[in-house]
Amino acid sequence: MPHLKTSYAKYQSDPRVAFLLVSIDEDSKRLQRYLNEMKFPFPVARLSSEQAQQVMGIDNTPSTFYVGSDGIVRYMVVGGESHGDSPARVGWYIDQLKTGK
Amino acid sequence: MQRRVAIVAAVAIVVATASAQTPAREQLARGRALWDQRLAKSAIAALEAAAKDKDTAAEAHEALGRLYTYKGWLQDNVLPGLHDEPSFRERALVELRAAVAADPTRASAQEALRTAEGYAAAEAVDPAPPRPEIRALDAKLQAYQSQPAAPVSEILDALEGRAKAQADPAPYFAAAQILIDRGEYDRAISIAERGASVSDRFIDENLSAYMLPGKSQGSFARGRSQAADLVGWALFQKKVYAGAQAKLEEAERLSQGADFANQFHLGELARAQNAPARARDHYLNALSIAGAPAPLRQRATQALTGLQADPSSAGGFEAWLEAELARRRDERKASALKSLIDRPLPKLALTTIDGRPYDSSGLRGKVLLLNFFASW
Repeated sequence: MPHLKTSYAKYQSDPRVAFLLVSIDEDSKRLQRYLNEMKFPFPVARLSSEQAQQVMGIDNTPSTFYVGSDGIVRYMVVGGESHGDSPARVGWYIDQLKTGK
Repeated sequence: MQRRVAIVAAVAIVVATASAQTPAREQLARGRALWDQRLAKSAIAALEAAAKDKDTAAEAHEALGRLYTYKGWLQDNVLPGLHDEPSFRERALVELRAAVAADPTRASAQEALRTAEGYAAAEAVDPAPPRPEIRALDAKLQAYQSQPAAPVSEILDALEGRAKAQADPAPYFAAAQILIDRGEYDRAISIAERGASVSDRFIDENLSAYMLPGKSQGSFARGRSQAADLVGWALFQKKVYAGAQAKLEEAERLSQGADFANQFHLGELARAQNAPARARDHYLNALSIAGAPAPLRQRATQALTGLQADPSSAGGFEAWLEAELARRRDERKASALKSLIDRPLPKLALTTIDGRPYDSSGLRGKVLLLNFFASW
């Protein structure tokens, strides 16, 4: 998750880009403790794990979707990052969508 | 080979006991022993059977309560991939209350109930520390890495001791690697194969603790991939190249090409098979994966120096390597998964952290990064 903070720094002041984290935690206390620890600079919402699985097809975390300004999902990245340049990857997806690709 | 027969025989006995009708006390002992090995599903079944008999009810309910307490509050990442299961918390309290009801004088059940109630009321509960006896057995096995003169039978005894104490596959893979380093390829192969089935069973026994199907599937694939890579690497050392290729490629499929050691092994194999282009590809794949130890990265880089496609290209080896790694990372980005891709983002019943409906109108018309996560 730290790579999302790094990436967000680049887009924080860009009115055309938004970040939203969605927790599928069942345990509210644990989530609150985690958020206190992580101090995310972007908004965090919650969704039930069941709905995340059924509606978004999520079967692993983290799962990241990149949605164009037209509301169409364009990229999906599932699971941890095994390749070493995470903030660059995040930036690549967002820049693709900003330029309308 | 004799040792392996002994392990198989031991498993056969456990299975035979499982299917036989045994008195409640035997079920209780069996359930406790299975839980000591962290075989949750079988342990629960045996303890539930023992809880039905009034002679063993108090003990069995207490053992179940302690097991559920562990699953509910204490198991987070104690073993790779396992998480706390909040759904077991209420069951823990129910079982421990049943234990106290069955025998009100049972001090250990009262104490376990107080502990669980404390967890239920706590803001946060730390995961259980790793069990010292397991760590000691792991250390004993690992120590054979630097004892090339120790007899193989000692290594196998250390493996057996550790495997008996906790039923996860880690010691099999560690032992197989040690045996490969000592040139004991056939023993390494049989132990790695055993590790694959132990891994499958361990995940199956703890399935609900992986929380999401993708996580348990990932763990199944990792266990099988690790075994296939070790078998392939042992076959490579034996110069059985066709067999090595089949197993190393199986590991590559299972790890989706994202395991450093496996890509490195495939590179070594291709080089031995006189296939420089394929070797180059695998070494480059390996180096584009993050997180491998520096000595291995150096070996892969070293191997590549002789394999550069066009040695005369501008910028020399460093520039060529950087360009190749960048290209591979770009290919990864472009191969994002297909499912919701090119479809509208579905409506989601999002809430705020404290449970009120989440107003997502501010996101409309923007490029959105939507990250689903869990704190476990």
